[in-house]
Amino acid sequence: MSYRDDNRVALENNAPRIDIVEKVNGAAKYTTDYYLPKMLWAAYIPSDFGDARVRSSNISAAREVKGVLEVELEKDAGRYHGDRIGHVCAESRKALEEALTVLDIKFEARWPRTRLEDERVPLAEMEKAENDAAAQKALDESEVVVEAEYQTQVQTHCALEPHGAIVDFRGESAVAYGSTQSCGSFRDDLARELGLRPDQVEFHCEYVGGGFGAKFGADNEGRLAAQMSKKFGRPCRVIRTRKEEHLDTGNRPGSIQHMRIGLMRDGKMRGGKITTWGSIGPTGIGQRSAGGGGGGGVRNPSRYNFGTVAVVHQDVGLNAGFPRAFRAPGHPQAMFAIELMMDHMAAQIGTDPLEFRLLNETSDVRRAMLKVGAEKIGWANRKSLNDGKSVIKRGIGIGAGDWGNRGGGGSIRINVYRNGTVEVASGAQDMGQGYRTLIGDIVRTHFGLPREQLVVKVGRADYPPGPASGGSVTSRGMAPRAFVAAQMAVDALRGLVAKEWQLEDARGITLEDGVFKREDKTMEWAKACRLMTNDHLSFATDQDGGLMKPPTGSEAVQFADVSVDTETGIIKVNKVIALQNVGLPVNRNTIENQITGGVIQGISFALYEERILNRQTGAMVNPVMDQYKIAGPVDVPEIIPIIWREDREVSVNSLGEPPTVPTAGAIATAVASAIGAQVRSMPLTPDKVLAALAAKAS
Amino acid sequence: MHQDNGSKSAGVSRRQFLQGASGAAAGSVLVTLPQLAGAQEGEAAPAVRSGLTRYAASGGNITLTVNDRPAQITVTPDTTLLEAVRESLNLTGAKEVCGRGACGACTMLVDSRSVCSCMMLAIDAVGKRITTVEGLVKDGQLDPVQQAFVDHDACQCGYCIPGFVVRSRALLDETPSPNREAIKNGLCGNICRCAAYIRIFDAVEAAAKGGQA
Repeated sequence: MSYRDDNRVALENNAPRIDIVEKVNGAAKYTTDYYLPKMLWAAYIPSDFGDARVRSSNISAAREVKGVLEVELEKDAGRYHGDRIGHVCAESRKALEEALTVLDIKFEARWPRTRLEDERVPLAEMEKAENDAAAQKALDESEVVVEAEYQTQVQTHCALEPHGAIVDFRGESAVAYGSTQSCGSFRDDLARELGLRPDQVEFHCEYVGGGFGAKFGADNEGRLAAQMSKKFGRPCRVIRTRKEEHLDTGNRPGSIQHMRIGLMRDGKMRGGKITTWGSIGPTGIGQRSAGGGGGGGVRNPSRYNFGTVAVVHQDVGLNAGFPRAFRAPGHPQAMFAIELMMDHMAAQIGTDPLEFRLLNETSDVRRAMLKVGAEKIGWANRKSLNDGKSVIKRGIGIGAGDWGNRGGGGSIRINVYRNGTVEVASGAQDMGQGYRTLIGDIVRTHFGLPREQLVVKVGRADYPPGPASGGSVTSRGMAPRAFVAAQMAVDALRGLVAKEWQLEDARGITLEDGVFKREDKTMEWAKACRLMTNDHLSFATDQDGGLMKPPTGSEAVQFADVSVDTETGIIKVNKVIALQNVGLPVNRNTIENQITGGVIQGISFALYEERILNRQTGAMVNPVMDQYKIAGPVDVPEIIPIIWREDREVSVNSLGEPPTVPTAGAIATAVASAIGAQVRSMPLTPDKVLAALAAKAS
Repeated sequence: MHQDNGSKSAGVSRRQFLQGASGAAAGSVLVTLPQLAGAQEGEAAPAVRSGLTRYAASGGNITLTVNDRPAQITVTPDTTLLEAVRESLNLTGAKEVCGRGACGACTMLVDSRSVCSCMMLAIDAVGKRITTVEGLVKDGQLDPVQQAFVDHDACQCGYCIPGFVVRSRALLDETPSPNREAIKNGLCGNICRCAAYIRIFDAVEAAAKGGQA
């Protein structure tokens, strides 16, 4: 089996994503868009405070509300705001809302654990790492020792489509809809809950309104919808509210990172000690999602060669919602601390921050990216950005990242119909990353056919299985399978053509731009398809054909240019250069869109987003979108995505994680460069900027 | 920035309405809904006071004109326009995301002005011309704004896109040739969590340059 690399789609493919029309005309149906006949509405009853006991409730009044089928209080206490202590099931949205209102639960709130800095084991009392003595030796031998502590906030996923499930149990079968990053596990979870075999559950997730790491498995919403549907023999809908999304569906944990690093005056780091703390839920352990992540861990150290480092970490339980995987779990918060620390160390030995990074960089790819990015952003001129008079100060900062790509397993099926239509099917899901487009473009360009001849079906559990989309594995794992399946189809059709041309075998027959050729003979795709004796031919494979090749680093480097108003403390990001290794590029639009989106999410994390808890009650103060600030249109800077050295000899890399890893570090170091002082706590809000300026002045 | 949350132009906000229903003076615009204008127990029907008609909490039928078609819908007085259109008319392009006018995902045109339909009562939309993202498609042809979104791949997951499309249509109707800054400001009531903003700005800029106002 041979692959003609020229047929592998690459950067010249600049077509819009395959499903864009349905998304702009409103036809795309997401889980929340299904309203089934006789559908029930169910929801959880939330705890209102961080650590609270139910004192009283008016459960009988709630049960008496017209249209209410069931009200159950299953727990008499909640361990965090939004903790599920019971549920309500009703015949309509109105009845559900009314029951939740008249239920009128009174809580007795106990003193909650709300602050990482208060609840952690203090630095001096932390257990020592196994290699503590070696790290201490490195510090002792260093010419300069630099120490600093950094803090990052809790960020909630806030995908615009809430977590939700709609389940229609029909005795021997069920039809279900769920907003998920894993059709397969969602379906399997529902089947277990319903007492059915997986094949008896028809599961749909053709469109997902955002998945950033917190949507795996049927989860609490799927479980409740399944239970109520089975109990009452009617379809049941459980869609979490926006408030619940902030409280009870996961978050990126907060962190404190203490770094003590020793280095030589020539810029070489010798080693040191890194102690990190991460916020988790109230149970004392991270509540992990099926997709991984979920602990309070931080990827510090990483990217640079710190020498011999002793690392100690504590997961700190708080009376607040639990962490789940969130786009590069543990990475962006680590790079915030690491990049600031790199600048801090460079300043201590009087070295240029870029030179210091080039010296200690662990990746040759990133070293090359650093040089190119520095040129594009104008690093050499950065000292002339400020005239010394204006209250607005400009600065440039650097962020680094990467992602070790694994490929997810799964199958691709291609049906080629007698009328020439090509149908590609995969049970993996497209959460907006462009998976539908990726496999469609690979197959159609392999055949040399226009998009109009192509149908791509994704997001159903009865399609050939796909991986759970977590850890940037979907495109990387499934692209090779799409190539292999496409070649299987080509070989079969070549066989039919050979037979028609009365040749012994298909040797010498090629397919280019939708035309089969051998010497002076040609046959159009559509005519070749009519040689089939049946309605269609079907090709499926779970083999990657050896196409999942290294390198797999997905290296990323970003440079940020910011302005800081030193009177108000307001930060404005002017420009970000985002260099990204993407492996084999397939569709420029989806790649650039995902890189710039990752950068903007990084800006949002660095500057705006924060879960704020009431320290008295443990209740989240801002579980609403007007108070939980997410980057909006006016916050978007100029972003230049640079697809790093397109290379057709490598495999596709997934881009969910990597482009959002470097951003917070790049912004934080740019701000520090602008004002001459580091803001060591995220988000970089105006008050913290002013405090840093005041501390510098005093 | 220019987005109207529906409370002023519609005459009665949800809060004012609820105050009105509990007996406080409210509102100044008469909304005539004979089918709904039922009496509360012990009162004579229909109860109209200070120009506000009271509706039975149990609900009734109203007629909404959505995408040029009249439709009879059963609502209660607190049913939002968004709920009415999504749940009764199977027009699910507009999305419920924040429920409080903070994200723009539910944006519809009400008499050609963009409105967060989660903040407008269905009863206040009676007699008005409502256009959803589905209604921007005319005779199978995408609106030029929609076409520009297609051409620029202006979306990722797509959940916010109907809101962005409708708001962009209204923006170009208000300001036929906005520059980049005006586009950002004009869209500032909408949130895209995947952050496909740059492509969205590109699309609106192109639609404006196409003279499609």
